[in-house]
Amino acid sequence: MTDDLRASTTATFGSLSQRSLAIAVGLIGLCAGAIVPTYLASDFVLRLGSEGLLLGLLALSVAFLMNQAGLVALGAASIYGGAGYLFAIGMSDWGLSPTAALCVAFLILLVYAAMLGALIVRTNPLAFMMLTLAAGEMISHAVLLEGLRDYTGGADGLVVRVNGSVLGIDALRFADPVQFWCIAWIVTVLIGLAFWAIGRSRLGVVLRAIRGNEERMRFSGFNTFLPRLIGYVLVNVAAAIAGFLHVLNAGFVSPESLGLFVSTNTLVAALIGGISGSLGPILGGLIFSFAQDEFGARGLTQLLTGVAIVLFIVVFPRGVVGGLSSLSKRLGWRREGA
Amino acid sequence: MLATEKLSVSYGSVRALTDVDLEISGDGLLHGIIGPNGAGKSTLLDAICGRRRPTSGRVRYCGEDITRRSISWRRRQGMARSFQRTSIFQDLTVREQLQLVAQHLGDEGLDDVIETMDLGGYLDQKAGRIAYGVQRRVDVALALIGRPRLLLMDEPGAGLSATETLRLFQHVRDLVRERRIAAVVVEHDVDAVFACCDMVTVLDLGRHLSTGAPEAIRADQRVISAYLGTAA
Repeated sequence: MTDDLRASTTATFGSLSQRSLAIAVGLIGLCAGAIVPTYLASDFVLRLGSEGLLLGLLALSVAFLMNQAGLVALGAASIYGGAGYLFAIGMSDWGLSPTAALCVAFLILLVYAAMLGALIVRTNPLAFMMLTLAAGEMISHAVLLEGLRDYTGGADGLVVRVNGSVLGIDALRFADPVQFWCIAWIVTVLIGLAFWAIGRSRLGVVLRAIRGNEERMRFSGFNTFLPRLIGYVLVNVAAAIAGFLHVLNAGFVSPESLGLFVSTNTLVAALIGGISGSLGPILGGLIFSFAQDEFGARGLTQLLTGVAIVLFIVVFPRGVVGGLSSLSKRLGWRREGA
Repeated sequence: MLATEKLSVSYGSVRALTDVDLEISGDGLLHGIIGPNGAGKSTLLDAICGRRRPTSGRVRYCGEDITRRSISWRRRQGMARSFQRTSIFQDLTVREQLQLVAQHLGDEGLDDVIETMDLGGYLDQKAGRIAYGVQRRVDVALALIGRPRLLLMDEPGAGLSATETLRLFQHVRDLVRERRIAAVVVEHDVDAVFACCDMVTVLDLGRHLSTGAPEAIRADQRVISAYLGTAA
């Protein structure tokens, strides 16, 4: 009995100290990732890195839905760019403060995502993909309508001047590459952790079970619509946050940010990094951003991007993180199933 | 417990079921449904559990008209279903899927189900990697969770040997009697049905042919000429 008590106490303290250690290592990693690059990298590299993180955040939203629900969304850009447009219109046309404009834009996007999601999450994966593509294209063309030009700026887009602070953070910090890297890093890591936790939560298990056998889920008494809708709205929250960060950093929003090009780049970044966790899509975003710059410098962006995508997908069919994970298992560095 | 009233189902211009009236008692009885291929047996189960919307007629469950109720609602009210082609979660372990459903339906007696279906040795294996016979038992176990009041089983013996089928039927019969629930079993193996079921319904070309005790059905001239033949 005493031995049992001692064993259980040791196990409890053991798991507590393990948890404390994991939290301490995580916090050190979070701080180091935010600060160390600002000493080692130039402003230009930090800008590229920040763009990569935002693309990674978008890729994370797409990958989560693919991995957990088996649904491919091709409309990530409509939320990403839409966040910028609504934020800008809220300040310039509705006379809202930056924080109020951000909150109103966020609410509008949430309602839009919930309404669109309610219509499309019941459909099969192919129809879902085509419907997200159609919805995204409708929005990207709507901002070019002549009747909306006063609001959207037409093909020129909108310059976004933020005076004061947003959510208590001085707007000037978003324009500074060093400080923006820190903000983008912290937000991306926190959202990555949140998605990782959701993937391991009951919602994640239910989503994967629906993906695996939706009919059996219904015959087990589950409502299969609501978890999918919640998943769809959650990934759009991440896309909206990426959009807000982008517009605060860039100071303008253009129709390109809503275009299919952004959505396909997002999908490619997710596939490059790997869709089965949070690390892969974020890493994919960073790789894509730096590779695009390198290819652009040679004047062969599209050609080299195409070659690189083919090579990556052939060499790493499960993405870089998935490939490295398989390799480490093969070399015996990780347990099977870990 | 369950009644169908003039139940008809059509697939386009083809009538799979025509005006089927059926009554199932819930007092620990195992009810078998037999008939030649294309008789409408699986369609009848589909219409009862909500998988297929009837063209006309009604389904009553515990006195309530449930014809337009969803599948998940019916399941939460105690109507469970297993499938002809095993329908389980291939990527989850046996334990994960049983626990997922048990938590959702608030069933604390999962150990009983595991013991009844003899799944104790397979709990930590991915369901997609276990033998087909065990997968069939997982399929039935998923249907047994939540202490259902009505169990609908479509060809539970599909893919199993005659001995395994008979053993599975005996399992189900014992369970039905012990829990005083009802089970409707569609099965090709007529011997297993006659050996274990308390009542048997025969369908032919989508129409109800006869319902009665196994001995009465064996002796029914209409059933013999339409389905069983002289060998019965």
